[in-house]
Amino acid sequence: MSRRRSLFFRLSHIRLLVRKFALVILFLAAFVLMLISKTDSEIADRASSVTTGIVSPLIDVLVMPARLIAQSYDSVRDLQRIHHDNIRLREENHRLNMIYDRFRALEIENKLLSDLLNYVTPPQADFVTARVIAEESDAFAHAMIAYVGENSVRKGQAALSDKGVVGRVDQVSGSYAKIILITDINSKIPVMVEKKRVRGILSGDNTMSPKLIFIPLDTTINVGDRIVTSGVAGVFPAGLPVGKVVSASKGEIVVKPFSNLEQIEYVKLVDYGLDGILQDQPQDKRK
Amino acid sequence: MSEGLGNNLVLIFKRRLPFLVSAVLVLFSYAPLNVVFWGSLRPAIGAACVYFWLQHRPDLFNLVSVFCLGLLDDVISTSPLGSNILEMLLMYVLVNNTSRLLNAKPFIVLWYGFALLLLLTMFVRYLVVSIYYSHFLPPSLMFFSYMVTIAVYPLVSLLLAFVQNNLIQDDV
Repeated sequence: MSRRRSLFFRLSHIRLLVRKFALVILFLAAFVLMLISKTDSEIADRASSVTTGIVSPLIDVLVMPARLIAQSYDSVRDLQRIHHDNIRLREENHRLNMIYDRFRALEIENKLLSDLLNYVTPPQADFVTARVIAEESDAFAHAMIAYVGENSVRKGQAALSDKGVVGRVDQVSGSYAKIILITDINSKIPVMVEKKRVRGILSGDNTMSPKLIFIPLDTTINVGDRIVTSGVAGVFPAGLPVGKVVSASKGEIVVKPFSNLEQIEYVKLVDYGLDGILQDQPQDKRK
Repeated sequence: MSEGLGNNLVLIFKRRLPFLVSAVLVLFSYAPLNVVFWGSLRPAIGAACVYFWLQHRPDLFNLVSVFCLGLLDDVISTSPLGSNILEMLLMYVLVNNTSRLLNAKPFIVLWYGFALLLLLTMFVRYLVVSIYYSHFLPPSLMFFSYMVTIAVYPLVSLLLAFVQNNLIQDDV
């Protein structure tokens, strides 16, 4: 009886202590979580991945009314644009037909020359088109969550819009993929200046315009130069459009992405079959 | 017996309602509304909810609720895990220490108080995350996000006041 009373007393004493220091404990827990996330541990990745899988469907349901309203508004607005678009598209079609003829001739020439050189063509890329259900681009992070459904998507795949690279897949959980944008502070993409073939790294810094770093000192980069992926490190293939240089002064080269990262509704998650530095973890691979 | 159980469940639900509504608002803040600059100016809805509930119903929004709301914000975001928790816990501490000054004051005073406390909490988070990355983050985006949060606070408080007045009775 006295032992039970002593146990009860101890438990209530511990409870009292926890209650007294709850705030300190929770502050410490926040710092510990930050340290765990800094170490890039597998536990943190897995926990984050599982939670994203649980939370993402909720966001998907929540944004449904907003999406319907936006779609209705877009439909009305599109009706007004149809006439102008029709005229513009006719002209564009005419121009594209001429380009297509030239493209066909170049394709045949390319095939003949490739056969002559015994060139091995790279494998065809598989892709999944995914709807963006959540986005974040504030001072602390630039990322989005996309619904990939039952398709096979893995960590490290390139995320493209119709205009170029927007980011890479960071996590896959359930039917959802978390994509880190090229403007995020954690994003470092090997790129090159298209015309000069000078290599560098496109480094995000949580602003809307990433910076070009690690380029040779004797290189002159001009405003308007196109930046494409270099294919170094084997994560992205070479030649994917990324953006163009908008400022090159004071040793800082600022690049504006071709894609409007704030208004992306759909992304193409492309698997080029490259096994680069971003290795899959078992939980990321889904069939 | 079953009626008593049902009443208890309803009571438990009502006591959790402030957290649930806040969680829904935090999730909604990540919605891609396809509006120019919306993504860059995403308001700190979590901090606004913490401030509102601690001012109006601190008995229904305890420390664990604050921590869980921060954790929820952290797992959706790709910002360092724990940074949102830190911001909200700091808001909790500040609100508790200023409750005498702000208690039962008109809305405009509460709004002003929120602006001051949010500035402090966002600044601390900005410093901590900058240290985490060993790189100063762009202050302009944080400033815009701060301004938008201040601007949407009346809307958030209107919604939460509706929940408080219509869905949570005083005896809960």
